[in-house]
Amino acid sequence: MATKARVLKPAAMPPRSIGRSLLLTLPIAVWSLLMFANPQRHLIRSEKVASLITAVFMIALFFLMMRTGSTYRWRRFFFVALGVLFPVGFIHTVMVMRGTMGIPIEEMIAGRTPFCYLPIPLLILPAAFTKSLVFPGSLLPGGGMSGAGMAAMAGMWLAITLVVGKGWCSYACFFGGIEEGMAAVRPRAKLRKIDPRWRYGPWAVLLAMVLLSLALFEPAYCMWLCPFKAVSEYVAARNTVGMVQNGIFVVLFAGLVIALPLLTKKRTQCAFFCPFGAFQSIFNKTSAFDVKIDRARCSPCVLCKTACPTMSLTDESIARGETLMSCMKCGACVDVCPKQAVVWHIKGTEVACKPERARLMFLYAAWAMAVMFGGTVIAGGLATILHVFV
Amino acid sequence: MKLRAILGYSAAGVTILVTLLVPFFLMGQFAKGFASLGLHVDEVYSGGPKARTIQSAGYSIDIHRPVFPHMLQTEKPFVQLDWRPVSALPAHVSETVDVDGDGQPDIRVSFDVPENPKTPLRVNVVALNWKYQSMENVSKEKYSRLIVRVDDAIIVRVPLARP
Repeated sequence: MATKARVLKPAAMPPRSIGRSLLLTLPIAVWSLLMFANPQRHLIRSEKVASLITAVFMIALFFLMMRTGSTYRWRRFFFVALGVLFPVGFIHTVMVMRGTMGIPIEEMIAGRTPFCYLPIPLLILPAAFTKSLVFPGSLLPGGGMSGAGMAAMAGMWLAITLVVGKGWCSYACFFGGIEEGMAAVRPRAKLRKIDPRWRYGPWAVLLAMVLLSLALFEPAYCMWLCPFKAVSEYVAARNTVGMVQNGIFVVLFAGLVIALPLLTKKRTQCAFFCPFGAFQSIFNKTSAFDVKIDRARCSPCVLCKTACPTMSLTDESIARGETLMSCMKCGACVDVCPKQAVVWHIKGTEVACKPERARLMFLYAAWAMAVMFGGTVIAGGLATILHVFV
Repeated sequence: MKLRAILGYSAAGVTILVTLLVPFFLMGQFAKGFASLGLHVDEVYSGGPKARTIQSAGYSIDIHRPVFPHMLQTEKPFVQLDWRPVSALPAHVSETVDVDGDGQPDIRVSFDVPENPKTPLRVNVVALNWKYQSMENVSKEKYSRLIVRVDDAIIVRVPLARP
């Protein structure tokens, strides 16, 4: 079966006409202008240029999605740019503001620790039992590098999650792009046999971290296991424990975000480790969109299973005509299917019923969120680089 | 069209509508909603609410309510005192403080106030009341025993002795 899969080529979908593709891109172009051309924001020249470049970049990628019918291929450019430029902008900001990537205890006491979305599931139980947020940030504006506070990030997370569900991991997460970029480097996977039980890793980490955060009243994942501390910020090491924590961050980053994606062509941190990803999987159940397999067309060649970066397709799920709940709607399986049997789908409708309409509706929602959230991050990182030249 | 399909398309349409509302309305409303839940940052980080203020010569000492960590939290109970503004503090602070407000001195605190805000601080605390723990030459070891400069205040956290 695997040998057969390797020789199959994805069926080329006839490209849309340029005019029709442009027409379909128009709403996203207007949206991008709304997001990037806010006259109330006073931008310096490098920020203006970065905003313009980002807007053109996002509009061009959407146009190419419309023109070619391929989603994953073009989304990946956005996602890798997001993954690379987020650390650029963030590290520059922390270095300017405090001169180090290590958060000193003074900043934590002052409630100025930047809050990302990864600890959100860890905060729920302590908050439910004691109304305490076990994170050294601030609830309202004034905290974090953005000055936005935890409420703003929580609000943004909830709003985007309502729209894209687990699609967050493909259209909003500013960490996953590094892995996706590393996974794209080699043409073929070096490590092909991965025990499917690793798929339960994120749930195990989520359970352990939620319970540990409740018991110790600290954001346990941020303190001990977050690989992305290596490219964002970390607790300034004051003692041996701090050194061990920072060592763990670097090892996990090197292993899960750099080495294993290179070897396996999978997003290994997302697929086997990320507790936030597991938490987001729950919201796949509330999303109107999913990916289905039209069993009447499916051979099955399992190319989709091989292509899925998070191992969200198994032989059993393919036979059932669906993805697992960990599917992050990246579109890799849809793009690779030679029979166009893997399709975007609106829940409640027939599987084979107008999949392109489902794709368009999902992409408008997801890409609008990508422009609003990821696009802003990309523009910020780009402005940091351009500031040197412009 | 089946009812399920109608519901599906309706949900997809609502999703797109919600998308349009996210940056202009929903994000802000959700943030406000989150903020109105009555949650607060854990007191081990924030130091707890201010209980009272002692006025001294040109500066004040804010005394916070004692903080008692939760179940397995790896910190000891502590009380936080803030000296502010830093600009009004003498080069060396050494004074007794009535922490619990009973009119009797509870601790003697002494520390230097360097001009350079980046110079590490060290504090000595002598407990005059059994409720408090003495500290010698402490910098910023743990959340429950430290001295740090935060903005325009010098914060000292004194661990409480277990009864």
